[in-house]
Amino acid sequence: MPTLFRELAKLCEQLGSTTKRTTKLRWVASFILQLDLNEVEPAVTMLTGRAFPKREKRVLDVSWMTINTLIRRMVDADNRVLSKAYSQAKDIGEAAKIIFEIGKMRKQALLSEKIMTILEVRQMLTTIAEATGSGSREKKERLLETLFSSSSPLETKYLVKILTGEMRTGFDEGLMEVAIAEAFKLPLTLVRTANMLRGDIGEIAYLARSQGKEGLKRLRFTIFRPVKPMLAQMASSVTEALTKHEGSTALEYKLDGARVQIHKSMSDVRIFSRRLTDVTESFPEIVQLVRDEVDADEAILEGELIATAENGRPRPFQHLMRRFKRIREIEAMAKKITVQLYLFDALFINDESLIRNPYQARRKALKQIAGSIPLTKQIVPLKASIAEGFLKEALEDGHEGLVAKRLDSPYTPGVRGKGWLKIKRILEPLDLVIVAAEYGYGRRHGWLSNYDLAARDEESGEFLTIGKTFKGLTDTEIVNMTKRLKRLKIKEERGRVSVLPRIIVEVAYNEIQKSRKYECGMALRFARITRIRDDKSLEETDTIQKVREIYAGQFKRHH
Amino acid sequence: MFSVKMTDTKLLKDMFQAIAILVDEATFNVNPENIQLRAMDPSRVAMIDFQWPKTIFDEYQCDQPQKICVNIAELLKLLRRTGRDETVQLTLTPDTPKLQITITGKYTRTFNMPTLEPQEEETPTPKITFKTEAKATTEGLKQAIEDAQLVSDHVRVEADPEKITLQATGDLMGATIELKKGSDALLDLQTQEPSKATFSLSYLAEIIKAASATSEIATLQFANDMPIRIDFHQPKEGKLTFYLAPRIEVE
Repeated sequence: MPTLFRELAKLCEQLGSTTKRTTKLRWVASFILQLDLNEVEPAVTMLTGRAFPKREKRVLDVSWMTINTLIRRMVDADNRVLSKAYSQAKDIGEAAKIIFEIGKMRKQALLSEKIMTILEVRQMLTTIAEATGSGSREKKERLLETLFSSSSPLETKYLVKILTGEMRTGFDEGLMEVAIAEAFKLPLTLVRTANMLRGDIGEIAYLARSQGKEGLKRLRFTIFRPVKPMLAQMASSVTEALTKHEGSTALEYKLDGARVQIHKSMSDVRIFSRRLTDVTESFPEIVQLVRDEVDADEAILEGELIATAENGRPRPFQHLMRRFKRIREIEAMAKKITVQLYLFDALFINDESLIRNPYQARRKALKQIAGSIPLTKQIVPLKASIAEGFLKEALEDGHEGLVAKRLDSPYTPGVRGKGWLKIKRILEPLDLVIVAAEYGYGRRHGWLSNYDLAARDEESGEFLTIGKTFKGLTDTEIVNMTKRLKRLKIKEERGRVSVLPRIIVEVAYNEIQKSRKYECGMALRFARITRIRDDKSLEETDTIQKVREIYAGQFKRHH
Repeated sequence: MFSVKMTDTKLLKDMFQAIAILVDEATFNVNPENIQLRAMDPSRVAMIDFQWPKTIFDEYQCDQPQKICVNIAELLKLLRRTGRDETVQLTLTPDTPKLQITITGKYTRTFNMPTLEPQEEETPTPKITFKTEAKATTEGLKQAIEDAQLVSDHVRVEADPEKITLQATGDLMGATIELKKGSDALLDLQTQEPSKATFSLSYLAEIIKAASATSEIATLQFANDMPIRIDFHQPKEGKLTFYLAPRIEVE
């Protein structure tokens, strides 16, 4: 029996109604178990807030404006009622539901009705994505109107969430891994490793269902299929890192650049960003370098790209980002902004996975095949004073700080473990999302220059405001930011524009204070934007939970 | 072997243009007598039912019934290269999956394009009891729709024994267009009972605009909140019919 999309919407609604992890897991696990085999991938993909599997290049290309226009076309309600719905709702999916429940709707009838099953919804989404070229906007609108016309308000709510990529049920990919493990009675580590290797939770669910343990065990690294990078925890000082690693640690420069994963197979080279997007085209000289220097038929390596000045010193991150976004005149830009690659890890060399090998062995293997490509500067300190000196040197050279890597630690993809600890001098900046903006005064009149910054609540998936800033961006950046924010506008009231949470910025601050001003009970003091992080995804932004930890940590130090 | 030749290249282009409104990949059923296409648009709101007998073509050869599927926008691109007094020949031989398009005039050009996997599923025609039937000039319809488009994205079509009224209501503006029975635009009108239905102009305007290039007179059939059927009269037993589902109000 095909599963109705309504069932999936109901499940999502339930998930949003509780913060209990175990309850959520039980619901999702039993839902996955009841699906037909060919529904598993689409359902799991949709439950994690995506229309299509993560790796697929298919995009819906449906703007918030289009959705908004359609909602307005379909209801018989005046603007006042609509604005009220938008301010009541936490997101536009919920707003759509409220609006559709208000009163009379004008639906588009169809010549032949189809039952809205999960597979039918996937089919429609595919058709929307496939509409390209001239007249595609109109085609997409027509398909969306058909989709909304065949849906109940509850179904519409979750369709809109899938279309905009914001599920906000507090059920992320990490929890989905647990749910899959529970549903099919598999070890969680197996599911995690499999998901890391494929980078596609929907496909993992399908494999778990169709082939079970054996199917997941068979998965190997696949060249040109990027895996999630291993992440580092914070340490407040070099001493803390040394203690945590029981003295058995290596210190590496933490470069202020962009982390990249490089895949090589014979003369083919591809470069992936830390969000696993293919950025090969932007860095032809690095492709050539890897092709010439790396002495292995096949390899998956990790490194950091930094923009460098003529004297070899690192240049600010913004310069590097200009290389990333470039689609035209790549060669010219490559001459203008030179980048340097530093390698620091090897995950796979010539048919052999290295991730279970200790750090030291991986580093040695990397050294052997790196040719003339430099590795990040590294020492194995014997004394705390030497370590302190190394940190000072790194900061003086214009780098961010150090990463302490436990000598015997394996590479744990996608996991923020204790094996790696990052050490920075100052309070660690936060990656936050802009959720609203206000117009500025004087020179900034007419530009959205005062930003509301929000952190993600891990439990509910919502974005909670924790600070405001008008500092840090240049005038040109403000002009660009204004344009981007306007495209993401949800509503505007008295010069304050609420936007879809999309733009991620790195924010420095002096202190985290207790505050009643915001719902989360905390506020950043002297917040300022240090860079725009288009290389990060929403799931990678910092959480309220993390802000609480930092808050607690600074308390400890001060008293 | 399938091969057709046509000197009225404008009609050919206009017809493919009308088909392209609703479908990207068009599956034609060709047989020794005629060429047919019946397809629904991907949103399942509109349908086209098209048929040309072999006599519309200057030459027509088809040994056996078969399905031919092409990307209609790509085919149109090639057909647009034909000038006045030129002839188009479309040929599909059994030895290659490519459709050959030969344009002959002052000189000869031969293009070829891939044929695609035909759609096997047959589209059934909707069964509807119509209450109103009207015969109008396509020019009159086109003008009326263009008026309505100025103010709204949908239009209500209403019929009583004397006239057809098109009512368009936008956020700020409105329009009422009346076509009186026996006028230059509305040649005939038969109403069993007053009928009204609302249609999206996004479809209706495109259909009428494109199809009226191939036809002078159209027959409209509709009923309360039911799909509308529009027959664009074609020469020599040709058929070009569209169905369009209405927009309806629900509580």
